[in-house]
Amino acid sequence: MDRTEALLIADLCEGDETALAPLVERYKRMVYRLAVQITKNHADADDVMQETFIKVYRSIHTFRRDAAFETWLYRITVNEALNFVRRRERQRESTIETTPEAAYEASTRYRVELANDPHAQAEKAELRQYVTEAVNSLSLKHRMVVILHEFEGLTHAEIASILNCSEGTVRSRLHYARKKLRTLLKPYMEASAI
Amino acid sequence: MRTKCHKIERLASDYIDGTLSEGQTAVVASHIRSCQPCQREVADVKKTRHLLRNFYVEPDASDAYYAQFTTQLQQRIEQSAPTALHQRFAAVATRLGWQLLTQMYRYTDHFRPSRFISIKRHALPYYVLALAMTLLIAAPFFLTQVSLHDNGEHVRLPSVTAQPAVTPATEQDMTMAHLIGIRRNMNSERTTETPTVDSGSDVWKFTDEPMVDGYIFAKFRKDSSDAVPNIALGIDSELLAYAQFPAQGAIWARLPSRDVLTEGRYALLLLRGINTGQHALQQYERKRSESKGFSQISEKLLDVPLEMLSVAAVYDPIEL
Repeated sequence: MDRTEALLIADLCEGDETALAPLVERYKRMVYRLAVQITKNHADADDVMQETFIKVYRSIHTFRRDAAFETWLYRITVNEALNFVRRRERQRESTIETTPEAAYEASTRYRVELANDPHAQAEKAELRQYVTEAVNSLSLKHRMVVILHEFEGLTHAEIASILNCSEGTVRSRLHYARKKLRTLLKPYMEASAI
Repeated sequence: MRTKCHKIERLASDYIDGTLSEGQTAVVASHIRSCQPCQREVADVKKTRHLLRNFYVEPDASDAYYAQFTTQLQQRIEQSAPTALHQRFAAVATRLGWQLLTQMYRYTDHFRPSRFISIKRHALPYYVLALAMTLLIAAPFFLTQVSLHDNGEHVRLPSVTAQPAVTPATEQDMTMAHLIGIRRNMNSERTTETPTVDSGSDVWKFTDEPMVDGYIFAKFRKDSSDAVPNIALGIDSELLAYAQFPAQGAIWARLPSRDVLTEGRYALLLLRGINTGQHALQQYERKRSESKGFSQISEKLLDVPLEMLSVAAVYDPIEL
């Protein structure tokens, strides 16, 4: 934790609301990225972001200074996102209108970002899409471990702390997630001749 | 070989992450050099990781969205802020309270238990369960202790006084005299008079003061090295117990119900009048012949109504 961040947290603890904005500015992309990958839905990710930062604002006094703020924030985001996913699953059981997958497919920004990607016209665009879809096809538990480890670069211990499970569980999930991804990506491994 | 390959397959993921120990890394490296399938397995995991890290499109939103989000968040926080006077007052009080708690937490944080004891959060239910079971097991013991102390209304020593007549020349003389006293009391007839407990040169007796119903909490002694006289406390027709009397540090207490005699070490006995009837002595003799030690007597005493207790005679622990 650098000094600026430590000061911001200390100010927020003291009740200085203006200290929240710089923290939001610093971590908003990280929180959004994680939220949208777990919920697979921009609207839900937006809600998760709101709830996450509101929780940070209200519960900053419970943050222990000897821990990393980032890890604490990851934990809040994951918990909030999981709450949304569970809530959505309950709703899906009661109303069979728009499935989250459908909402995800219809979710504009994510797809537009992909379509507007300058690399989308390149020959690797298909591979990008396929890899992304392969990750999204994983179960929630496996997906979270892959996201946190491969894309967010967290260690097994940090992931275990965030997901409130043992390191062994994290390793095991990562192993099976990679195994499934390997099966899904097998044709592309050979084609891309990495 | 298959078993080993299966193990290597499970380790492959950690191997390419570099999270294995040195020993495990060496084992995997050595195995994959000689095993083609495992070599492919590791290569595939590497390729998968490469694809993920290089071709996965991480979702992101536009800058406009983030700007809009920040504004919305700020508005939401402001909306949730109190407006009415009493709400503002409550908010200020809450904030001050939190600050106070935070300061206290900071101050006491240095001594927090987690600095000394590491408890994993996922293991917390097991700790709670263990604590609950410990409390469940220990509760009867503590309740017994509490009832002993709370209900223990200390009463004055019921009319027992020591009246030293002649100081014995030696300890041996005193023991011998004590034994003589025992024999004499055993042969005594039933009487309603206050008995005199003769321990040789020391005369121990129950005085003529009004008898206060009470309980003797006396410590048993198995050895007879101590020359302090002892008395046997008997129960009509049922049981007798042996207690050293007066014992050093003996506690006098009153209990509302029947007692409490645990493992032959301590006895809490009722003194209600004095009865050295022949029948009681006979019963005592019978029980004494049946019982080989204090523990057996003590265990039986638990089932005896306190009202049946009476002082019987004086006996030496050696005889028991």
